[in-house]
Amino acid sequence: MLSTLGTLWTWTVQRYAPKSPPYVPPPEGFQPFAVGYVELPERLRVAAVLDVADLGAIRIGAPVRIEATGGVPRATPIGET
Amino acid sequence: MGDVLIAGAGISRFGRTEHTTGRQHAVHAVRAALADAGISWSRVGAAFGGSDAAGLADTLVAQLGLTGVPFINVKNGCATGGSALVSAVNAIRAGLADVVLAVGFDKHPRGAFDPLPADWGLDDAYGRDGLMVTTQFFGMKIQRYMHEYGISARTLALVAEKAYRNGSRNPNAWRRTPISADEILASGPVSDPLTRYMFCSPGEGAAALVLCSPDAARALSGVPVTLRAAVVRSRRFGSFEVFSPWVAGGELTSVSRDAAAAAFEVAGVAPGDVDVCQLQDTESGAEVMHLAECGFCADGEQEKLIADGATEIGGALPVNTDGGCIANGEPIGASGLRQIYEVVQQLRGHAGERQVPGGPRVGFTHVYGAPGVSACTVLSR
Repeated sequence: MLSTLGTLWTWTVQRYAPKSPPYVPPPEGFQPFAVGYVELPERLRVAAVLDVADLGAIRIGAPVRIEATGGVPRATPIGET
Repeated sequence: MGDVLIAGAGISRFGRTEHTTGRQHAVHAVRAALADAGISWSRVGAAFGGSDAAGLADTLVAQLGLTGVPFINVKNGCATGGSALVSAVNAIRAGLADVVLAVGFDKHPRGAFDPLPADWGLDDAYGRDGLMVTTQFFGMKIQRYMHEYGISARTLALVAEKAYRNGSRNPNAWRRTPISADEILASGPVSDPLTRYMFCSPGEGAAALVLCSPDAARALSGVPVTLRAAVVRSRRFGSFEVFSPWVAGGELTSVSRDAAAAAFEVAGVAPGDVDVCQLQDTESGAEVMHLAECGFCADGEQEKLIADGATEIGGALPVNTDGGCIANGEPIGASGLRQIYEVVQQLRGHAGERQVPGGPRVGFTHVYGAPGVSACTVLSR
């Protein structure tokens, strides 16, 4: 099992709706969302969707919690819920 | 190993049209290259070429002439042109023929490049959740680089501003209208920190080269340029590439670094000897990072070099003098040979309004693309 705590290694914001298919927008419609890589103590960086309240407050190096979902892992900055 | 010379170079008008096919671009470029070398198609003893999405190169014989020439199709993504070139060089060195053609062409519609997760060995969730978007990778790679080495968003804008300015001096470029750095910064975010005008667009075009042995060159009328090295490499473990569910920890490896170093070693020259270069600029950040990956500066030095104008046509190291991918668009199969076409013009002193002053003697070209492939050349006059 990999750690669930790491730091944000890099990120970007997907500003336009990706082409569907394959993209499936949420029921409420597309909103810009963040993706990134979380650096874990096991010496690797894992791609994840970032669940953040404020796209303007994302910072490299911020502590994040990352969780497996069965699909793409999801990560949340620690301090946000 | 024996020298290989570029006796002729031809190009088509890059851009996006309704009616011109990729093959028509290719025929135009090949005929231009033959005319430049002062030979007819029947003099060509072997040919290598390809496109990513515009058909098979060997079908071009229908327009070029049914001479019986061995014509080998090459399909190697962003390294298609470079791979055709390496094959042509090896054919000359192996004695298969003394005059050989390399051609790359393509035609992509607006919004091309729609990868599916299964084609990359990825779970469907990566598509469903919106991660099969190439621009995200470019945004994330330069985002990390800016954080580590102090590169500003303004520098990214200056790279694109230069591309459009150089494109305005290039009659074959697609984007020929200068755009200011402020407009580029304000053109709307695509994948932070990259904005719309910092990216190249899928497009169409073709470039072709006639290569020959030194003996054959003596009988030709063109002004030959020496191809000192042509190298293609694929990635090693530890690199950061598009559509990677994970990336190894520690310092990143770079296929561009590997290919460039190999090319310089084969050529027996150093990056400091280069007078003009073309670097893969899928977007502004790529040009910034490739300056360091190809050995032209240390990581972070780009911030000052670009602000000081070092990469401008009149600077110490002119980069993407024809406007690069940003101003010419990206026809995948054509871009690598477009770069070499441009360096050939520069080394001959035939680059017109965009000519690098002072008589450049050594040139370098670099392409990079998915899934971690790079092709580099060193040329001299």
